[in-house]
Formats: sequence, C-alpha cells, structure tokens
Amino acid sequence: MTTTAQIPLTISEPEKRSKRRGGWSRTLVSYSFLAPWLIGFLGLTLGPTLASLYLSFTNFDLLQDPQFIGLANYQRIVTNDVKFWHSMQVTFTYVILAVPLKLAFALGLAMVLNRGIAGLPLYRALFYLPSLLGASVAIAVLWRQLFAKDGLANVALGFFGIQGPSWISDPNYSLYTLVLLSVWQFGSPMIIFLAGLRQIPPDVYEAANIDGANKVQQFFKITLPLLTPVVFFNGIVQTIDAFKAFTPAFIISEGTGGPIDSTLFYTLYLYQEGFAYFRMGYASALAWILLIIIACFTAFSFLTSRYWVHYND
Amino acid sequence: MTHDLNRRTLLKAALGSAGLSALGSLPAFAQDARIRLYWWGSKERSDRTLKAVALYQERNPSVKIDGETLAWGDYWPRLATQAAGRNAPDLIQMDYRYVAEYARRGALLPLDEFLGKSLTISDFDKASLDSCKVDGKLYGINIGNNSNALIYNKAAFQKAGVPEPIDVTWDKFFELAAAVTKAHNGEYYGTSDGSSEETAFENWLRQRGKALYTEDGKLGLTEQDATDWFAMWAKAREAKACPPADLQALDKNNIETNLLTQGRAACAFNHSNQYVGYQVLNKNPLGVTMYPQGAGPNPGHYLKPSMMWSIYARSKVAEQAVKFANFTVEDVDGAKVLGVERGVPASPKIRDAVSAELDDMGKLVVGFIAHVTPKVGPIPPAPPKGAGEIQTMQRRIAEQVSFARLSPADGGKQYVSEAQAILSRA
Repeated sequence: MTTTAQIPLTISEPEKRSKRRGGWSRTLVSYSFLAPWLIGFLGLTLGPTLASLYLSFTNFDLLQDPQFIGLANYQRIVTNDVKFWHSMQVTFTYVILAVPLKLAFALGLAMVLNRGIAGLPLYRALFYLPSLLGASVAIAVLWRQLFAKDGLANVALGFFGIQGPSWISDPNYSLYTLVLLSVWQFGSPMIIFLAGLRQIPPDVYEAANIDGANKVQQFFKITLPLLTPVVFFNGIVQTIDAFKAFTPAFIISEGTGGPIDSTLFYTLYLYQEGFAYFRMGYASALAWILLIIIACFTAFSFLTSRYWVHYND
Repeated sequence: MTHDLNRRTLLKAALGSAGLSALGSLPAFAQDARIRLYWWGSKERSDRTLKAVALYQERNPSVKIDGETLAWGDYWPRLATQAAGRNAPDLIQMDYRYVAEYARRGALLPLDEFLGKSLTISDFDKASLDSCKVDGKLYGINIGNNSNALIYNKAAFQKAGVPEPIDVTWDKFFELAAAVTKAHNGEYYGTSDGSSEETAFENWLRQRGKALYTEDGKLGLTEQDATDWFAMWAKAREAKACPPADLQALDKNNIETNLLTQGRAACAFNHSNQYVGYQVLNKNPLGVTMYPQGAGPNPGHYLKPSMMWSIYARSKVAEQAVKFANFTVEDVDGAKVLGVERGVPASPKIRDAVSAELDDMGKLVVGFIAHVTPKVGPIPPAPPKGAGEIQTMQRRIAEQVSFARLSPADGGKQYVSEAQAILSRA
C-alpha cells in the first residue's frame, strides 16, 4: 500500500513541476512570437497615439518643449482655418467619388471572373497587382508620367482625335485623376468580392432560372442581397483607406497639394502643418479630428447596416 | 515629460541587444569621436562629401564619420523629427532659410567659442561671416557663396537668331523671350514662368528698393508691389514669352521638373551653384547670367551662403565636428575635394587654390560670382518664422492668377493679407 501510495506521489511531483515549467516556457514562447507585434503596437501605435492626444492640446514646434494651450488648436481649426475646410472638401469629394466607383468596378470584374474563364489565376494576379503596388511611390511617379500633358494617356487619346487636358497640372482635372488612380487599384476589394460570389450556392440561380428570372433580376434579387456583408466590409475598409489617402497626392504634387490646392487632401494638409511648418501640436489636433470623423462614419455604417446587410436570414 | 521617459525606456528595451552587439564589434583601439554627418543634395555632392570624409579619416584615424544624405524635400521633415527626438546629427548641412528657425529654437550650437581655436575662418570676408550669424552669434560655417542666376539654353537663343539675355532689363527680357517662342513656332517658350519663384520675386523687389521682409520680421512689400509683379507676368503670358498655366504647373520646384530641363522653356530662375546640376541634365550647353534688371541702378542680387555647416546643440562631439567642418573650408586638400559644387569658397586662399584646378563648369560658376560680386547689395535679414509657408503660398497665388482665377490686383491683395496672417501666427 505504501509503495502504491508513494508511486503516484513521486511521479506527480516532477510531473507537476514539468507542467508548470512547460506552461511557463510555452507562455514565453508565445509571447516571444507575439513580441514583434506587441513592441510595434506599444511603441509605434499606442505610445504615439497617446502622445499625439497630449500634443494636440499644446503648442509644439518640434524643437522646443510643448506648451499646454488647452483647446486652442481645436478652436482655431473649427472657427478660423480656411485650409481645414478646403482640405475637408477635397477629401470628401475624393471619398464620395472614389469609393463607390472602385467598389462597382471591383464587383463588375469579380462577376466576370466568377464565370470561370480560362487563365483565371493569371487574371486574378494581374488585376490584384495595382493594389499591391498602388500606395507605392513608384506607381505614383509612373502615374505622373502617364497623365502629364504629353504623357501616354494623351497620346492614346490623340489616336482618337481627342486633345486631352493636362490631367495632373490643371486644377480642374487633377483631383479626378487621383480618383481614377484609386479606382484602378480595385484589386483587393475584387478578390474579396470574388470570394463572396463563390459562397452563393449555384442552386439558388438554377431555381431562379426555372422560375424565369432574367439576369438583371437575378443580380438585384439574389447576388446583391447575398453579397451585402461583403459589400459592407469592403465599403468600410475602402472608406477608411480613402480618408487616409496620402501617397498619391503627395507624390504627384510633390507635397504641395497643388496646383492651387486642388489635391490638398486632409492628410497632406496635416503633414504640411506638422513637418513643413513646425506646428506639430496643431497637426496632432487635425489628426484627432480625422480620427473622430472616421469613427463617426464607421459607427454610422454599422448602425444603418442592420437595414440592408443580410446574414443568411 | 512622462511620454518622453516611456519612449526612451522602450527604445532601450528594443534596441538593447542590437546596441550591445554593435558595441562589441568596435575596433580594439579607442575612438575619440564618432560624428554623424547629414546633408542634402545630388549624387555628385554625395560622392565628393564621402571622399572628403575618407581623406579626413585617413589623417585622423581616431575619428569616425558616418554620413547620411537625403533629397531636399525629405531632408527637413527628417531633421525636424530627429531634433524633436533629441537625436539630430552632430554636423548638419544648413540652409540660410532655416538657420534662424533652428538657432532661435535652441537646436544649434553657437560657434563663437571655437573661433580662432578649432575654427580658423578669420580670413572669411565680413559678408560671408555675417550671413551665418543669427542675433549676433555665429551658428553656421559658410561652405560656399552663390547668388541668384538666370540659367538659359544657349542653343535655343542661337537657333532663334535672338541675342542671349545677358544683363538685360525685364522689358527687353520678355521681348527676347517672346521672340524665342515665336521662332520655335510657339511650342517652346522663351522663359519659364517666374511668377511663382520666390527668388525672382525677391530680386525684383530689391530692384525697387523693397524687400520680402524687414529687419524686424515684418512684410517688406505692399499690395501694389505684389500686384505689379503678378501683372507683369500676366502680360508676359499673354505675349507668349512664358508658357500657359497648365504647362508651368508641371514644374515642382526642382531641377528635374523645371521647364528648362523638360525641354519646354529656354530660361530658369535659380541659383548659381545649381548650374552644375542643370548642365548635367541638359544636352545643350547652358549659359548663366544675372536676373533681368529694373530701371533703377540696384541689381537686386546679393551673395548668400549656398549652404553652411551647423552643429547640433546637444552634440557630444561638437569639437570634433567643428574640426572636420574646418577641414572642408580651410584645408586646401579638403576644400579641393568639394570643389565649387556647394558654392564658391569664402576663404580667398582656398578660392584661389580650388579655382586653379576646376573643370569648365566650375570655372563658369566662379566667373559668374566674380562678375556679380562688385554689383551685389547687402544680404537681407534671415527670413522670419513662417517664411517657408509664405513661399508655398506665393506659388499658390501665382497659379491662381495664371489660371485666371484671380486678377493680378486680387492676387496682390491676397498675397499681403495671407502673408500677414501667416507671420502673426508663426
């Protein structure tokens, strides 16, 4: 009896310890795998975010210590800053045009690709490529060349006898050229739409066919309703992206937002205030206002989503 | 500041291991100093700078200099950010536009204490020394002087049978430019549109006895001045002496996109040391001359330090950094490596030594500075805070006038009211 009682004891003791040690080292392993993200999140996201919240209440010129000035930055933004309202207008115009156009284009192409044409993976990759490169400097530079007055775009139009405008250097066209650039980067919503389309069971269409529904009816009665969760997701992601758009305008106008501030996106204005004119406190306040606007937009989308997004019901 | 502490602790944690291994790999002998050197500019400048660094290190094996270079547009945001993080480079290539901004905010070290010791620039003329002073203290070491310069395509004028625009009046200049446009069938223009160029505007103002800014940092011009300026260019645009607005807007204020380099116009408004950069990118031989002149005797030109060396206020190796800077402006071997790419050296003995071995491009620049020097006026006071923003604003208003969204008179009005708002805010 004593031996049988001892055996489990002697076994359980190291077992326990090893379990504890194993648990700890397992935790350590998982934390070390998490570490890059954790360090990045704390150091590069959370820390700067909190710092910028504090700085938004200060007068900070980057070189001297920040001075606390309360709500003065916010007050100036709302009451006495023409450029703020102008950059808002530019950004909203961009968001309102670029997001729906891009989604419509992405959905249209996803439906074409969904028919199962030969070489589908190749097309998928090709169409996705611009999104992958889209935010990069190289593409914006290329775009600048394409749409200059004597660029490829106008040479192509010339074949049809059309004298194209100087797309990027004429304030009447420059913003729409950037909208076009954004629509062209339709790849990532397209891939998600494609995945969504694959989820729709084919027998639904077969049943609709038997009932005599035509293609248009099928699109509006079956495809679109069943796809609303994907539309919702893509819409939110693309809207947030569009609000934050920076690189194309920065590169194409060399950071000026020109000509005549026609491409002065909100983020570009923020950048100028902070880094070109040494008003980091003010720029931080601008950043927080952008955050609030995006949060409101997203909240609004979520609140209204229950009326038009259908989840398998 | 608490966030400062947090960030530092975090940084230490993150970089601890990397830092340790870097320390471990240091060579066995003790190093006196490790200097961080920071400059903007072309590849040519980079090559020359690194060559000077190598030569200096060869002579001073205990000093290690780490060079870092960026393009002008990226340079200043990066420097401001580094200064905010209390981590700016020790030796900074500084521009006249920014020196007061950085000096008055306590980011630069006054260099007076080094004078006569590690800094032996007593042979600089007074103007070259004064141009690097802010509020009476020396904050920069003049690397070279330049002046405004009209850079033009010689072939375009020759082909049109039009005399080159050497030291002409503004009226004559536009007349010649219009003739060049006409001779090239209107597809190529006599000059780029200078209405948005701050250097051209300032030069023209000085010809009228005015200035961009007064001694005490106020606006030195009236609505009428700005209106006349925009009106003058509107007339030139009408006469096709300069290109239409949508073509001019392609110019993003650098050598690469200037309409001269783009093959769209025959003249560019710029600085003499940038002649080298233009010539490298242009197939046709270029000429360099003074800006067009006004009716009065004042040519508007002045000599300015094209750039200077400044020392970061918190640098731990300030003494060593000053010594290297001194090597580039007062040691014949060091200065020869740099040539006149950063401007013409301020020290007469160095200028003579360097000039003796210059290529044709360098000789042209030195010749131009020699031609201008007897005619220049005093350098204007360092621009006040907000001057950078006003420069951007001038470009915007000039574009509004050229796209006919504002009349020259409204442009002049807007220039003054906006500039005053910016100055009062800065």
